Amino acid sequence: MRIAVGFKVTPDFEALRAADWARVAAAADAEGRAQATRYVRRVFGVFDEAALELALRLRDARADDGLPTGLAAFTVGGPDASPFLHTLQALGFDCLRVDPGGGPASAADTAEAAGALDFAPAATAALVAACARQLGADILLLGERGGPGGSGTVPFLAAEALGRPCVTCVTAIEPAGADRLRVSFRADDGPVRALTAPPCVLAVGNAVVSMLRVPTLKERLAVRDVPVTQFTAADLGVDVGVALDRAPAVRSLEPVDRSRAGIVVTGATAAEQARALYEGHLRARLEAL
Amino acid sequence: MSLSREAIVEGLRGILGPEAVVTDERVLVENSVDNFRKLQNIFDVHVMPVPAAIVTPTNAREVAAVLTWANEHGVNVIPKTGGTATEGGLESAVPDSVIMDGSAMNEIVKIDPYNMQATVQCGVPLQVLEDRVREHGLTTGHSPQSKPVAHLGGLVATRSIGQFSTLYGGIEDMVVGLEAVFPNGEICRIKNVPRRAAGPDIRHIVIGNEGALCFITEVTVKLFPYLPENNRFLGWTLMDMKTGFEVLREVMVGGYKPSVARVYDPGDAGLHFSHFAAPDDCVLLFMAEGAEGIAKATADGIQAIVDRHPECTQVPSEYIETWFNDLCWGPDKILAEDERIRQTRNVNRTTEISADWSSINDIYQAARQRIIDEIPDITMMGGHSSHSYINGTNMYFNYFFNVVDVGPEEETEKYYLPIISIIVEETLKRGGSIVHHHGMGKARAPWVRDEYGSSYYMLETLKTSFDPNGIMNKGTIFPI
Ligand SMILES: Cc1cc2nc3c(=O)[nH]c(=O)nc-3n(C[C@H](O)[C@H](O)[C@H](O)COP(=O)(O)OP(=O)(O)OC[C@H]3O[C@@H](n4cnc5c(N)ncnc54)[C@H](O)[C@@H]3O)c2cc1C
Repeated sequence: MRIAVGFKVTPDFEALRAADWARVAAAADAEGRAQATRYVRRVFGVFDEAALELALRLRDARADDGLPTGLAAFTVGGPDASPFLHTLQALGFDCLRVDPGGGPASAADTAEAAGALDFAPAATAALVAACARQLGADILLLGERGGPGGSGTVPFLAAEALGRPCVTCVTAIEPAGADRLRVSFRADDGPVRALTAPPCVLAVGNAVVSMLRVPTLKERLAVRDVPVTQFTAADLGVDVGVALDRAPAVRSLEPVDRSRAGIVVTGATAAEQARALYEGHLRARLEAL
Repeated sequence: MSLSREAIVEGLRGILGPEAVVTDERVLVENSVDNFRKLQNIFDVHVMPVPAAIVTPTNAREVAAVLTWANEHGVNVIPKTGGTATEGGLESAVPDSVIMDGSAMNEIVKIDPYNMQATVQCGVPLQVLEDRVREHGLTTGHSPQSKPVAHLGGLVATRSIGQFSTLYGGIEDMVVGLEAVFPNGEICRIKNVPRRAAGPDIRHIVIGNEGALCFITEVTVKLFPYLPENNRFLGWTLMDMKTGFEVLREVMVGGYKPSVARVYDPGDAGLHFSHFAAPDDCVLLFMAEGAEGIAKATADGIQAIVDRHPECTQVPSEYIETWFNDLCWGPDKILAEDERIRQTRNVNRTTEISADWSSINDIYQAARQRIIDEIPDITMMGGHSSHSYINGTNMYFNYFFNVVDVGPEEETEKYYLPIISIIVEETLKRGGSIVHHHGMGKARAPWVRDEYGSSYYMLETLKTSFDPNGIMNKGTIFPI
């Protein structure tokens, strides 16, 4: 069984303090998104990170059953994905990077193109599907949604392009014999656990396992000289030019206010605080139940 | 004869009343360790002796009463305030210890903007004090990464240091006076004066005692004008740590006092600066602050020094400023890190040492290489220098490893202590100090004699004189 995981490297805007947003927003206004993101470190898209770890756990579980699994990981993006690809190589993935711009000669094009692709899900999906084909993947594993600005439609569009079924909101994947998987996902009416036969596309959602394991220095050293396969969109036979030209450009960025109103419960002792909490905030609600 | 657990609880209730004596088993178990054995709390696998009770005195008299009683009955007392200790200072080394939690003593006693000093009880979180003095346009100048959670009592007890230390100094440069209670119940107040030459500076018996000599109840610290509008940030990438140490030295010897002066090795830089530094880059950074003219002169002077090193490539100052603004660790980050460890079993640990300029690079190189060669499952081995002085600097080793084939409770013995012992060995060999700012705790106590050499006599005499029955935080600083 061959599993390919598509992932995206995104700016960690969550790490920015409110005060620094002004700077990011100004850079976005003046020079576009690519410039605004230079102030923040990069991270794996959160759902993609879960997908990568689920793939590793699936490989390990299959190995316990004596079943071989081929793992590949790919990303569509610029060279800022290199350290991430290196980490994945050390964890045992074959790695592929697709350059959506003009190739290594034009790093700026690449960054701009990668930024523009954020708002061109059909073009992204076409590239993702082409990668899955290129890698001979039985299972294409994706995060449900990319980074900031992600539409959440790429897994569906990629599945359509590949002509494969797509399971979304995946929370766990277990082996079920040599050629099948047992996939847990969240449906509208609750959690479901179903037997799935590849080829298929699985889009990982709020999985309990959300963090990628870390390779040791020795594992990193072992793959230091292993090159990452690189393709341009043209190499894969995908024309993203029109989509990129039409993709909306970012003109400004602003943080989403996620703060919630709060009440500080006071009291000299823990008992007094508990009483204040109960009398003032819980009692009426509990009685209304 | 030692008291039973029940008798200890009974005795404490008699002194403080039942409200101030916590005996909830769950709370006690969680308090048997601190960050040194934090995996025991993260994975809920506890193997340390469980304390008998946690007491929460509200004033120095109550502290004195409990200490006098414990001294009489030979009950081990572990002082605590913010609970952010990293070196086992809060760990129960012996069964039926009593944790004396000063966090209920949390009053800001006085802010005195004219004499530029503030007096607080030991349980005031540094962030609370900092926010209050900012209302006066002032700052404490103290900014350890644990600022949102650490309290003034613990910060003084550990000889802590903050990110702006190169300008403001460590806590020992900030404390002007304090109040502390000794095991025999003696309440001692050291008055607040700018300086005095009336014999040895007894503040230093208390600062850094880690709860092994006395309990700190009140502290007075200096205040400084807060002028963030003048802050200047400077940053460079460079290829090796040796050059980085050399630049730091030139800046210090040149007489400049940036508030922040740091050099990160490639491993550590990769954690913070991967958005602008290449994987093999070191990162050198500075922050200059203070009155406008001083901040400008400091930044200009540093710029001129680094300009003499063409191997350093300057980066936009905004990169450094944005990074810097997100450096402190509040409870949210601590919880997120715990969750990361729970899922990945990949653990981040740190060990800080100091040495003179001639030795620091050798210690860094030797310890780093040995750890990579000798310790299994290392996923990152790096570090940075973050506190510089005219005669040397510190090295803050920052490392990660996967916990493999052992239970979480064995992580300390299999990985952490062997790494510490390599760092300690390489440091001692070259005449450095094995602890720069986290305290000895119980983690590095086994090396206390090597650290002190012939001056151990003086240290030991403090212990035997002030705590002759050995009831203060057994195993901390002084191994059992
Ligand atoms: C995320 C994180 C970041 C950190 N960053 C820094 C940093 O930048 N710089 C730095 O120096 N340290 C740092 N530390 C270490 C720690 O925050 C400091 O050692 C701090 O000074 C401890 O203060 P606390 O109030 O939490 O003390 P506690 O953890 O409660 O106690 C620490 C030690 O002091 C003793 N003690 C506590 N209160 C008293 C008292 N009233 N009287 C006598 N003894 C007492 C305890 O017995 C113990 O040995 C960090 C820790 C964490 C977890």
